[in-house]
Amino acid sequence: MLLKTIRAEQMKLKRSPVWLAFFFLPILPAIMGTFNYVQNINILDNYWYSLWTQHTLFTCYFFLPPTIGVYCSYLCRLEHTNHNWNSVMTLPVPIPYIYLSKLFTASVMVIATQVWVGILFIICGKLSNLPGPVPPELFEWLAYGMVGGIVICGVQLCLSLMIRSFAVPVGIAMIGGIGGVAALSKGAGAFYPYTLMSIGMRANSPGGPMICTPGQLLLSSAVFLVAFTGIAVLWLRNKDVMAS
Amino acid sequence: MKVLAMEFQKIKRKGIFTTVAVLLGVQCLWGLYSFGNMNGEKLAQGWYQCLYHFPILNAIMMPIIIAVLASRLCDVEQKGQTFKLLETIIPAETLFHAKYLCGVIQVVAITVFQVLMILSFGVIKGFGGPIPWDKILFYLISTIGVHVTILLLQQVLSLHFSNQMVPLTLGLLGSLAGLFSMFLPKGIGKLLIWGYYGVMMRVGLNWDESTRISDFYYVPIDWLGVFLLVGMFLAIYIYGSRSFARKEW
Repeated sequence: MLLKTIRAEQMKLKRSPVWLAFFFLPILPAIMGTFNYVQNINILDNYWYSLWTQHTLFTCYFFLPPTIGVYCSYLCRLEHTNHNWNSVMTLPVPIPYIYLSKLFTASVMVIATQVWVGILFIICGKLSNLPGPVPPELFEWLAYGMVGGIVICGVQLCLSLMIRSFAVPVGIAMIGGIGGVAALSKGAGAFYPYTLMSIGMRANSPGGPMICTPGQLLLSSAVFLVAFTGIAVLWLRNKDVMAS
Repeated sequence: MKVLAMEFQKIKRKGIFTTVAVLLGVQCLWGLYSFGNMNGEKLAQGWYQCLYHFPILNAIMMPIIIAVLASRLCDVEQKGQTFKLLETIIPAETLFHAKYLCGVIQVVAITVFQVLMILSFGVIKGFGGPIPWDKILFYLISTIGVHVTILLLQQVLSLHFSNQMVPLTLGLLGSLAGLFSMFLPKGIGKLLIWGYYGVMMRVGLNWDESTRISDFYYVPIDWLGVFLLVGMFLAIYIYGSRSFARKEW
């Protein structure tokens, strides 16, 4: 049944241009970040690691959360219009599957984005004639970034289910991303859903250790995902979303 | 005026004022965090610091907030498919202007409060030297200028596309490009509307690599940038208002 629900979500997205946002978002920092890196090569002297910071710093903190917010709002948009919650909630589908299928669809997009970020990083590094091999930690950065990104998907989907507006959850995601800078500076990054992605991707210290241990990051992510799935399911069960 | 009052009635209880309050709250917290621990040399350069860092903060936050604001103002009609109905009562241009004015009032309020916040920080913390009124006045006017140009573009996009994903995504991408352009040669910033927060900055930064000390200095007004921004505003306004008036809903 879950697979069928996921397939239904994929069908809803057919021929939708929403993936273009995730395609273009990493291209901008790749081009402009590489250009900035080449211009300041005397200051940014850590080669691949400096380039990684240029590619990911702003994107992780400020722009990926709202972009995921746009995607999640889009995933809920069809249900919010034309009283479609009535149809969805009367289908013989367990309520958690409705949320989980959307979460799976959003997560696939985050995974694809991370792969794209990795490809662009390697291409830009090679074009800039950086010495040495591609950092062996690249896969780890991308993998932990994916986990953090999926947590943001969980939060944003929950918000987009609750708030019928398309734009408001996007604004919340942006403020959440900025709040992440404060959470990180206060040492509370691992306890704040919007910072897990930047912690995982090691955006500001790619050469050094992670702010928290990988175990803490994974545990925190699991707790947030379970909590927001629970909240979303309870919301769908108890609130009158059907008649909206 | 009646149409403008109607626009404010439409956004009643839509949480737009809460959004604005939260935004100012975040900026205030950021200011308290950045300027709260200032002392000595940093305090002496407090006005420079404010006039350097607040445009960066604007470049990060405001384009997305403005995109959300414009989307909220236009989506109410897109969802209810009320454009055709409204255009039988009032001219399309009046509706366009009313929606725009409603947004302008809000972004002007945000900017005025932000400047009052900067002045409060300066006076309370005792920034060095007299208040640079001319620079602050230019900051106020130029920031409003950039905000209202971005708002105009976002409104045109939000009216054109019934799917609000498109204007919000464009706003996000533009914002990211604008932020990056602040760290690239100024000419690149002039190509992008979102880059004008950087073009209009009146403070430059010298960073000494050996001593790792930052030294701020004032820069003259970039008049070419001002004229280009006005030109962009007029071009978007002419195209946007005409295309809205001619659109078949």
